[in-house]
Amino acid sequence: MTVQMFHVGEHIALSYRRRSVLIWTAMTALILSLAAATLMLGKLGLSPADFVDILSGEASTATEFVLQRVRGPRVLIAIMAGAAFGLSGALFQNVTRNPLGSPDVLGLAAGAGAGVAVASLVPWAIPAPIGALAGAGSAIGLVILSTGSGLSSTSKVIISGIAVAAIATAVTQFVVTATLRDEASRLAAYLVGSLNSRDMGQAGLIAVTLVLAFPVILWLAPRLQLMELGDELTTSLGGKATTTRTQAILVAVVLAAMAVAVAGPIAFVALMSPHAARMLTRTSGPNLVGSALTGAMLMVLADLAVQQIPLVEDLPVGIITAGFGGLFLGYLLLTEFRKGQS
Amino acid sequence: MTGLTATRLSVGYGADPVLSDLDFTVPEGRFTAVIGPNGCGKSTLVKSLSRVLTAEPSMVQLEGKPLQKLKPKLLAQRIALLPQHPVVPDGVTVAGLVARGRYPYHRPLKQWSADDPQAIAQALEDTGMTAFADFPIDELSGGQRQRAWLAMVLAQQTQYVLLDEPTSFLDISHQIEVLRLCRQITANGRTVLAVLHDLNQAARYADQLVVMHRGSIVAQGAPHDILTTELITDVFGMESMIGSDPWSGTPMVVPVTD
Ligand SMILES: Nc1ncnc2c1ncn2[C@@H]1O[C@H](COP(=O)(O)OP(=O)(O)OP(=O)(O)O)[C@@H](O)[C@H]1O
Ligand SMILES: [Mg+2]
Repeated sequence: MTVQMFHVGEHIALSYRRRSVLIWTAMTALILSLAAATLMLGKLGLSPADFVDILSGEASTATEFVLQRVRGPRVLIAIMAGAAFGLSGALFQNVTRNPLGSPDVLGLAAGAGAGVAVASLVPWAIPAPIGALAGAGSAIGLVILSTGSGLSSTSKVIISGIAVAAIATAVTQFVVTATLRDEASRLAAYLVGSLNSRDMGQAGLIAVTLVLAFPVILWLAPRLQLMELGDELTTSLGGKATTTRTQAILVAVVLAAMAVAVAGPIAFVALMSPHAARMLTRTSGPNLVGSALTGAMLMVLADLAVQQIPLVEDLPVGIITAGFGGLFLGYLLLTEFRKGQS
Repeated sequence: MTGLTATRLSVGYGADPVLSDLDFTVPEGRFTAVIGPNGCGKSTLVKSLSRVLTAEPSMVQLEGKPLQKLKPKLLAQRIALLPQHPVVPDGVTVAGLVARGRYPYHRPLKQWSADDPQAIAQALEDTGMTAFADFPIDELSGGQRQRAWLAMVLAQQTQYVLLDEPTSFLDISHQIEVLRLCRQITANGRTVLAVLHDLNQAARYADQLVVMHRGSIVAQGAPHDILTTELITDVFGMESMIGSDPWSGTPMVVPVTD
């Protein structure tokens, strides 16, 4: 597990572990295979011949329709929203030094969902991403205010997160009952987190978010690694603990809000990804790349399941992730409280 | 103004200041030990001297400049602090931890500087941790862990090394090793300010003692000159006799209670 340096010229040197890079490569390959399977399996599945046609620009309109309107956006959104959730969870867990500090537990995802619901209610149509940002921002603000001690205390954060999520759900329920029936059922599906009938515009939104977040995260990564040493050492080693924490939380809120805007408040992907990534790569540090890849993998896998496995067919993805994530949360709570007792 | 100074320093954590109107200049190139009872403000003092606890700009200065005015990384190349209770990151190895002491010499996209390997190897060697370089921190004993932290602070290669209770958790031979290391660091012209609890070790190894009581410095000077039974009674509320260390001849405080 020795650290290697990646040098570009004289002014860039980034550290990495060989083992991590191997695992990242394997995960990327797995994500791509799952994505290919998503495109190929089932009734509307594309055949290998279709891919050749697409690449040579000779695809039939039916094939193009499936790729650009049906399966394509869906799989792209699964990958990118999953990555955004994973990154958001990793950023939160790092700066809060709290294994449960993630957008879902904090009520942030529910808040963003409520924001989208409220936005759909007003007649002059506030765009969903704006609603999501406003909802996520209010949720995190409420949690920080109500714990009175920021985000570092595990139990306080969970309790305020539950309260904030409950408020958000109440708002959402109100909106669902207040809207017309067609709109309401569409909204209800969205609010568990669904990837049905997505379009390329939404894929573009999350893509732009990730592209913009990337340099910021690259710049934040060494600071986040420093933050693991606690605020005192961060300061004495020349870091700025409060500034770094604020910046990371801002980026994490934007990532989670945009992921919710395109995929709905999908439960627990953000919570699970950093833990799963840490188990896989077995490294210290913020592990941002690993968490992003794990998030993407979990989402593509869940989405493939709801499209192809008979028992769960056509359920919203959010239900699958909520099921597994709920179990995982239970496991985390147990280990955390055991740790607390010893 | 030269050196690291505190002038009319008043800081605290809430309404009441813990330290009030404290004046202190860190003795340059010496090994100074800060002693005093629990809760008297020793940690508060060393934290204030390293910007970890922010005071008014006029109160703590390096070469006449308020610490806040200096770029954080440049300040971290001058002053290092080992806190009393550092946070152990998950899953990091000894070498990985020590490497983090090099942060002040890195830039956002350049997590490496030419002096890193040498500084890290030297710090590991000085603390006797070379053999443990690849051990995960969680698998070390308390004393080994403490030495790993010391190595991290040494890898920072600063003129001022502030240590808050560096000998806690160490067995007697490693305590002595750390104290000798402090001396050795000052032999190279660097300055060490360490909070210690063992008066006799402080008297034997440090050039200077700073005695604190209820947020003030009540005595400062060479151990021989300042350690008196009155001082011990005033500060620690304990009757004592002062003899001399049979090996070094330095003052030795012996409690006189049953
Ligand atoms: N983070 C904090 N928040 C509030 N009060 C604090 C904090 N840290 C210290 N104090 C208070 O400040 C006073 C001085 O504490 P300090 O840690 O400087 O003592 P110390 O001399 O280092 O003691 P010890 O020998 O036990 O380490 C104590 O009364 C303590 O209660
Ligand atoms: Mg202390």
